[in-house]
Amino acid sequence: MTNNGGLDLTTDTRLYLLLSNPQDINSMNIMVVKKSLSEGCTPLIVSINRPGQVLTKSYAKEGISRDQYYVVDAVTHYSGGTAISDPHIRYVNQPSDLTGLGIAITELLKEIPAQKKCIIFDSVSMLLIHIPTATASKFLHFVVNKLKLSDVSGIFLCVENGIDPLIFSQMSAFVDRIVQYDDLKKEFTVLSGSWK
Amino acid sequence: MADKSPTWEEGISRNDIFREIFDRIQTGIMIIDAETHAIVDINDDAEHLIGLSKDQIIGKTCHDFVCLAHCGECPITDQHNLFHSTERVLVSASGERIPVLKTVALATVKTRTYLIESFVDIRDQKKAEERMVALLAYLNESVLRVQKPLELTCQNLLSIEPEIGSGDYNAEEIRMQIQVQVANLNTMSATLKDLARQAAEGQKEIPDGFREFIVGK
Repeated sequence: MTNNGGLDLTTDTRLYLLLSNPQDINSMNIMVVKKSLSEGCTPLIVSINRPGQVLTKSYAKEGISRDQYYVVDAVTHYSGGTAISDPHIRYVNQPSDLTGLGIAITELLKEIPAQKKCIIFDSVSMLLIHIPTATASKFLHFVVNKLKLSDVSGIFLCVENGIDPLIFSQMSAFVDRIVQYDDLKKEFTVLSGSWK
Repeated sequence: MADKSPTWEEGISRNDIFREIFDRIQTGIMIIDAETHAIVDINDDAEHLIGLSKDQIIGKTCHDFVCLAHCGECPITDQHNLFHSTERVLVSASGERIPVLKTVALATVKTRTYLIESFVDIRDQKKAEERMVALLAYLNESVLRVQKPLELTCQNLLSIEPEIGSGDYNAEEIRMQIQVQVANLNTMSATLKDLARQAAEGQKEIPDGFREFIVGK
């Protein structure tokens, strides 16, 4: 694991841990989606944070069309919202339903026709509201193994200093690179023309 | 004039009053010949800790039980270290490594020098210490599960505010977003209540799942 450089989804399967302040995590989500699309990688966003319908609108405002990405939405049902029929969105009852999350991720990854794909997990910090660190650690190991076996890159968003040092050290061990929001932002600013 | 006082083996340990006190002290005591490192006597508490009878222990070398050092590397007689309530390990007959606080004093009786080794079993203290460290880690983890998510929730609510008047999001989308934050706050509140309940019940054990996590099994 290194903490130099930014995201690179053009090469082999990579795993990243992206850290930001709480106020920047939504911006980071959009940057990462744009970055993955600019590198020809179709993103599957696992949303523990915002309902899929809201994500779709915020992406649309950034010029990202609905057919460019897939979503596993763990909060719409949880908020009492209504699921909309969309082949690009898979719903899970609630964020603590790890079995449902695992199945949804696995199934949707299989359905994505693109050769290059990645998952964007938004976010590890929000997952920890719903389940204890020990359980989250096991689940994230499961996801990482699934990604490695499927040759899919993984980008885990997390609030800086927001998780138990033990799970942070475990995650640091299984990702290839830790990227700070500020570094990502600099890269985004320099290359923003080509990202869109 | 020749010293006619008895050695340990010849007399001291056979004194009835001394023997009674020696065996009743709730501290393990082992008398070792400093030259040969042979164990010449032990009291009942040491016998109990080691898990063998006196007959099976007396005459053996101390390396077999109280000390993991090799022959010729005795920390007292060869390396001249001092032990005063020092944390060490005593190996029992079953192979259990028992944490002890050990003190070693030198005593000369007639012409022979003995090591008077005394040790107190601190297994209970070690367990209590480990439990406290684990509990602190558990408390820390529980607080972290609330602290940053609260900041995130606060930020999410702040970001919803401008969306309300923007016209970009309909009422249902705004409601869903607010409801997610409410549900998250309820979950965090439940985590805090659970923590408070455990503290009120004087919970001494950390949950099995977390224990497995921190010990990596």
